[in-house]
Amino acid sequence: MIYKKITNKTFVMTAVMGSLLIMAMLAVNTLKFSKQTATATEGAVSAVSSFYLEAMADRRAKTVTNLISNSFDQMEKAVVFIADENIDSQEELRDEIGKVKDLLGIERFALVDEDNVVYTQYTTYTGGSRHPFLAQEQLNDRIISTVSLYGSSKQLCLAMPTPDLVIMGKRFKACFVQFDINYLVNLLAFDDQGRTYFALYSKNGGNLSGTELGSVISHHNLFDVLKGIVPQDEWKSNYDNFANEKEGSLSFTCGDANETLSYVPIRGTGWEMAVLIRESVIHEQIRDISETNLKNSRNLIIFTLVSAALLAVVLLIQFAALSRAKLEAEKEASNNFRNMANTDSMTGVRNKHAYSESEAAINIQIHSGELQKLAVIVCDVNGLKHVNDTKGHVAGDQLIKDACSLICEQFIHGAVFRIGGDEFVVILQGKGYDKMQDVIDDTNRIIEANIEKDEVVVSIGYSVLGPEDRNLRDVFERADQMMYERKKELKAMGAVTRHS
Amino acid sequence: MNDGKKILLLSGVAAILVFSSCSTSYENGFNGNGSSGDPEAASRTGPLPDTSFTEGDASIQSAVNFDHELDSYQPEKNHYNFYFTYKIVHPWWDAVALGMEEAQRQYLDKGITVTYEYVAPESASAEDQKKKLHMAEQKGYDVIGVDVADEEVISPILDEMVDSGVKVMTFSSSDAAEGCKRLAYVGNTHNYRDGADLTQALCEKLGYKGKVAILVGSKGAPCHEDRAKGAEDTITQYKDMKIVAKEYDMDSVEMAYDLTLKILKECPDLDGIVCCNMSNPVGAARAITEMESDAVIVGMDHDEEALHYLDEGVIYCLGVQDCYSIGFDTIQTAVKIADGNKAGELFPEKTDEITTIIYQKDAALILELLYGEI
Repeated sequence: MIYKKITNKTFVMTAVMGSLLIMAMLAVNTLKFSKQTATATEGAVSAVSSFYLEAMADRRAKTVTNLISNSFDQMEKAVVFIADENIDSQEELRDEIGKVKDLLGIERFALVDEDNVVYTQYTTYTGGSRHPFLAQEQLNDRIISTVSLYGSSKQLCLAMPTPDLVIMGKRFKACFVQFDINYLVNLLAFDDQGRTYFALYSKNGGNLSGTELGSVISHHNLFDVLKGIVPQDEWKSNYDNFANEKEGSLSFTCGDANETLSYVPIRGTGWEMAVLIRESVIHEQIRDISETNLKNSRNLIIFTLVSAALLAVVLLIQFAALSRAKLEAEKEASNNFRNMANTDSMTGVRNKHAYSESEAAINIQIHSGELQKLAVIVCDVNGLKHVNDTKGHVAGDQLIKDACSLICEQFIHGAVFRIGGDEFVVILQGKGYDKMQDVIDDTNRIIEANIEKDEVVVSIGYSVLGPEDRNLRDVFERADQMMYERKKELKAMGAVTRHS
Repeated sequence: MNDGKKILLLSGVAAILVFSSCSTSYENGFNGNGSSGDPEAASRTGPLPDTSFTEGDASIQSAVNFDHELDSYQPEKNHYNFYFTYKIVHPWWDAVALGMEEAQRQYLDKGITVTYEYVAPESASAEDQKKKLHMAEQKGYDVIGVDVADEEVISPILDEMVDSGVKVMTFSSSDAAEGCKRLAYVGNTHNYRDGADLTQALCEKLGYKGKVAILVGSKGAPCHEDRAKGAEDTITQYKDMKIVAKEYDMDSVEMAYDLTLKILKECPDLDGIVCCNMSNPVGAARAITEMESDAVIVGMDHDEEALHYLDEGVIYCLGVQDCYSIGFDTIQTAVKIADGNKAGELFPEKTDEITTIIYQKDAALILELLYGEI
């Protein structure tokens, strides 16, 4: 297996390319999905509108059906109530009818005797010509009929037989209630936010409710209007549905209006409840919603992508910083290790290993002729053995530290190495080399003073790089030789040596 | 602040900006902002059909006044009980009843209860009317109202009733005989003129020549007889016009139909028919249509079938009476009479209700006005 070294650049490129690829795929899929959604939505409009209208028409139809059913129930109760009363006069009958109306909440309630005389709370009248259902000699079943009254008022008449009812010695054959269609229209005017139109129709398409069914059909006879708009067979089919009290729906286009109409029969009345909506309204509504949703989806996706991109950038930057930090840490650790390897643990100055490394580097410079000014100072601590023997190693260690401190303080511009137990080397270059003599003289003075004070004494020897020197060792030898000579001098002055 | 933190902060700000723009868009779309969110506005792309009446239709619209309010008269009682009897069970009087019920309703709104009986026989009968009046006389009604079936028979009875202290009025289509003591009449006072006007229109249509039949209605019924008289007098003005038949259909559609067929058989070149009540235009039109005759029909009132024949051109014109106003004014006058008032300032002795002659062009409007058909 071939391993390719992964660099930062590789990592960044991978992250960038990968992110761009993901974003591109996401964007393409979103666009594709948007188009599919729009197409599917358009296709669903017809089904939705028909279903919606059917449900609305059905709901309204049920309202009327429930009203009819409840009314018949109320009438049954009213008849039972009246039958139980002992009524001897017309006035008493009117009173009882009034009570029944109040008790059961019936707006209009009337009884009809066998001579077709109608009794209401306030009026008694001959009703044969006024109420078509009285044309029958005998009423055997409930009758629901539409009554057109003089004055264009249309009413729903609910009549039921009362075969066992006898009042004032007279047989009563029926009772009935009548509802003005306007009352029904108010009941049916649900709050659909004005988005649909409804109307009640008779079997022949005549508008009973007087409500407008859209701008095309308006108040007109439904089939008169549709005749010129829908195909003949479709017209006939719907006309037959109306005649046979069936439900149905149809769509038609008139001008730029594309409208859908749904109708359901109101059982027993011969009426059809029709609800209409412009398909463009549903289209626009659904289109608006779809577009809004798509727009929101796009925005959310853009937001997600932007966030992801920003996050990726942040992560990349952090990762880079993290890498740098690790690198720095490793470098530092490496330096530390190196320092640890090159540092004398007791004194803190560089050790012999470091001196060897420095020597190797200096030798390269000497061989190349780069180095002109270099001095080697060899320093030897006097009396270390004596101190170790007489005062102990702790004192001896302290003596070494004192000597190191003295050397470091004096040769402040030099590189100090501890190359032996009591031996130090100072390499001077640059500024340290220039001030070398003064520093050495000053150091010797301090050391000579220390002999008197019984403080640390260090023998110093030095040598400078000469033209004949081929390496640092050559310079060191001379400095070391001088150190020995100086040691003798210091001994003669009273300094303690190892042999003291 | 280091670079990483800055970038994080910028990211957060960018996120907030993007997210807030998403939310705004969502709310606007959901609430249907803009014209596309208003389906009513979207559906009304053009002006709605103008269903209002034109100025020229104002007279037709006023043929029947459905807009009544009680006058300022303050009734003295909280309850009134009336008895009304009319000629025959017939839709014309059902229309009158609606006007009565409206007045009754308005009185009820004021806390005044008006109860009444409103009865008639199945077929016109002066004898039946007599019996009803005698029966009612015994029952202490506040006012008794009658649509006179036969002025000769009924007028004396009304006089007797008035003399015995009963408050009597006449109403709707027929008044009592001249000089009768009844306290007031509310209804058509111009039946003769109605018949004359209708017939004049017919004569004009026929070019003042031709053969004409008259279908009267109920024998002895003042309104029918007066109209027929007006028709006769009009026709006799034109030398080239002739009355070939005058029949009594007793206010029956079927009888009018049979009589018309008979007249057409006897006079196949009949040019016109004058129908003097609400039923006989219908019977005549059916017969004319069946026989495919070109005879021109003029008639009275607002029968729905007759109005359709008018719309189709089978009937040439109809005289529409304002039944609703008759009913409303009858109750209002009865209340005043019941309080002991006499004809004068509060009400006239004869409240004249209008008749409007309508033609084919007016049929649709009247059908819509009276029956809500469009």
